[in-house]
Amino acid sequence: MATIVAEATGQAILHEEHEQSFLRKYVFATDHKVIAIQFLFTTLFFLMIGGLLAVLMRYQIAWPAKTLPGGGILPETMVASGYILPEFYNSLVTMHGSIMVFFAIMPMLVGVFANYLIPLQIGARDMAFPRLNMLSFWLMVPAGILTLASFFVIGGAAAAGWTLYAPLSARPDLSGVHLGQQIWLVSLVLIGLSSILGSVNYITTTINMRAPGMTWFRLPLTVWALFITAILGLLAMPVLSAAGIMLLFDQTIGTTFFLPAGGGQPLLWQHLFWFFGHPEVYILILPAMGFTSEIIASGSRKPIFGYKAMVWAIVAIAFLGFIVWGHHMFQSGMNPTLGLSFTISTLLIAVPSAIKTFNWMGTMWRGNLRLHTPMLFAIGFVAMFAIGGLSGIFMASTPVDIYIHDTYFIVAHIHYVLFGGSLFALFGAIYYWYPKMFGRMMNETLGKIHFVLTLVFFNLVFFPMHGLGMKGMMRRIYDPTGYQHLQGIQDTNQLISISAFCLYASGFLFAFNFFWSLRKGRKAEANPWDATTLEWQTPSPPKHGNWKEIPVVYHGPHEFSHPDVADKDWLAQNERPDVTSPAGAH
Amino acid sequence: MSDHAAASEEHGHEAPNYLLIWLYLFILTVAEVAVAFVSHFPKWVVVIALLTMAMWKALLVALYYMHLKFEPKRLRLVALAPLPAVAIMIIAIMMEYV
Amino acid sequence: MAQAATATAGRAPERGLDVYNQKVGMWVFLCSEVMFFAGLIGSYVVLRFGASDSWAQPGEVLNVPITAVNTFVLICSSVTMVKAFAAAEAGDQKGIKLYLVLTFLLGATFLGVQVFEYTHLIQHGEWQGSHGFTPRAGLYGSTFFTMTGFHGFHVLLGVICLGWASLQAFRGRWGSDHYHGIEVLGLYWHFVDLVWIILFTIVYLI
Repeated sequence: MATIVAEATGQAILHEEHEQSFLRKYVFATDHKVIAIQFLFTTLFFLMIGGLLAVLMRYQIAWPAKTLPGGGILPETMVASGYILPEFYNSLVTMHGSIMVFFAIMPMLVGVFANYLIPLQIGARDMAFPRLNMLSFWLMVPAGILTLASFFVIGGAAAAGWTLYAPLSARPDLSGVHLGQQIWLVSLVLIGLSSILGSVNYITTTINMRAPGMTWFRLPLTVWALFITAILGLLAMPVLSAAGIMLLFDQTIGTTFFLPAGGGQPLLWQHLFWFFGHPEVYILILPAMGFTSEIIASGSRKPIFGYKAMVWAIVAIAFLGFIVWGHHMFQSGMNPTLGLSFTISTLLIAVPSAIKTFNWMGTMWRGNLRLHTPMLFAIGFVAMFAIGGLSGIFMASTPVDIYIHDTYFIVAHIHYVLFGGSLFALFGAIYYWYPKMFGRMMNETLGKIHFVLTLVFFNLVFFPMHGLGMKGMMRRIYDPTGYQHLQGIQDTNQLISISAFCLYASGFLFAFNFFWSLRKGRKAEANPWDATTLEWQTPSPPKHGNWKEIPVVYHGPHEFSHPDVADKDWLAQNERPDVTSPAGAH
Repeated sequence: MSDHAAASEEHGHEAPNYLLIWLYLFILTVAEVAVAFVSHFPKWVVVIALLTMAMWKALLVALYYMHLKFEPKRLRLVALAPLPAVAIMIIAIMMEYV
Repeated sequence: MAQAATATAGRAPERGLDVYNQKVGMWVFLCSEVMFFAGLIGSYVVLRFGASDSWAQPGEVLNVPITAVNTFVLICSSVTMVKAFAAAEAGDQKGIKLYLVLTFLLGATFLGVQVFEYTHLIQHGEWQGSHGFTPRAGLYGSTFFTMTGFHGFHVLLGVICLGWASLQAFRGRWGSDHYHGIEVLGLYWHFVDLVWIILFTIVYLI
């Protein structure tokens, strides 16, 4: 594995001036491109693990009375006599969510693409703080090792849900998990620090290191999205760290922050967690929206419809994201007036999201569509995210939410926005920027097959969950057949599970394409997509230092089909100073 | 704003009197302890007075020792950025207990 | 990381904040620290509001006079820190060494007094009949030790950096053309002082 990584990253950096040791260049790297690729391999690995946990869960839900094939290889504490134990099931549920959020999606969106794209797209040679960047990655490694190790300690991995509600999470005598929960909290603090330090880098770099002519309103939407995301992370993550530390203290040194027996407030945990948690989900979607804007403009050969509106929509989503967290807590017994204010702010946040959705459609309208794999995933993002957003409208209203809270309706929503949204956009982004990273194209036929399989199976898995939720199937339950009101839904559950196995399998098609193309993919030129942003105006992969000379920027980021440019349908940001933008502003 | 172009390396202003600020901080600290223990005002008056003095001290440190008073406006914006988030968090959670 | 403007056909890079990267970076980092302490202090405020009867009166458990003096020590360290920065700007090598070492010593003193206070409280503190005041002493104990403990941890990190900076001063590293490190360390140190100003008031006096 190490040699493949090394070869890949070797292809990713053309050897230049100073000779660095293997260790300095590929392991303790400070080049933002290498760090991004380190994050990429790590997060793809955790994506696979998170998916595996879900596969195990789905097997249990669909066939609770059957033994797990091959379950014998797992320890008796997890699978006893072939049956997944309820305690282990709780850990599966918890760690699936935790690993996917903190070790797969968030670091892939930010650790990979903020690192790779920000310096290149703003015309800088590297991040503001390359060594801090290296520290960010290397904090994630022990965090990840701890997380995986927590499965194998006595008591198993954390099992109180990814949301770690107190007092369950604070009381080992209630949850049955002692060390695993503490290990997870330590891991969380480490990865929180990694994220915060990363944010410091992304924010400083974007503010201070833009090339000449790269004004704020000439930034690609990807950079805007990643910049605002970094601000969200900077302000929200520390609150989780504080709360996580208080929870850790409750478990270890006898404090009683969240324990009613000692005068503590469990509701305080929920407020702190969701104050972080809601900005967190916008961290998980905004970069995806940025990639989508980029790919759709490029794939439609048209400028983004309403660039400025798109920027303000990102800002509005981020700002509103700080005042909606209570909508996760409508059932908690919180102050009803507070609940009303959260309903209003949550409904409001649909507006900028809708503006973005219409603008993507406006971009594609009468465009010269190039339906390559990245474009397919980007269009898929818009459609799936729209469905996820629509289910959100239902959940925003307190009376409706009281009925569907903690049911599979919520699970459907989460996965439409996180998988149909974030992961689709991530797949698109990987197919799109792979040539730049590795100097080779991924196989287009396999990509299209991967897209179709993913789209079909994804919807087969998650769309029926809306119905299941309305029928009252609760989240996180071990055996649906044990409930009177859930008789008759097992057929649906089995369909979902079979589709889930197929969905997981289709991921391996992507993995095969990814690794095969590293060596055998068609060699990529500097700009295989005829795109306008700065990263495409330098070789694939870029040399250490990115450019011989820092580019000067003359145009906006998505100048496709410019009326004054007759010979081609795109205009790079750093060419033809004599041509001005139609909008005239810059 | 244009004369700020060279301001990052050199301060275009006189250094504040750091010792004077230190004296203010000392006086405020003494005043705080006095108000907390010696006064006979109702509790809520004491709390407001103490919080005001604490904020005043914090502002003195931020504006003069941390130089914010003399930095470009945009940097002051960066420094202020977390405050609305803090206010939102505390006010909203407080509503549970009021 | 300065990029030569000459490499870009006479066009200057975009202005940004007109402040060098490390200073911007430190301020951005301090924003995250504000949120971290806000999480701890906000929780304290909320928990206390919900349990105001079972809270100690100022001075009942904690030693306010010693802590007031300690607060003063930390404030003095901020003065010496800013004087170290002024000395660096002016290229005053003697001043740089003197004030950095003074700041280090004052910071270490603050920590020493804190450790002394903690040990005294844990061994001899009295609260609600228990012998010894620890993090287990209800919400009052939980919040006190967590907030002051994390502040102390931040002071410790600062003191370590000050030790390093002082060593560097004796190696002649700092000067009127190389003082950004001191300025940025100073920002962190003043922030730590600022947080203590708030903590002292809220935890010890209210």
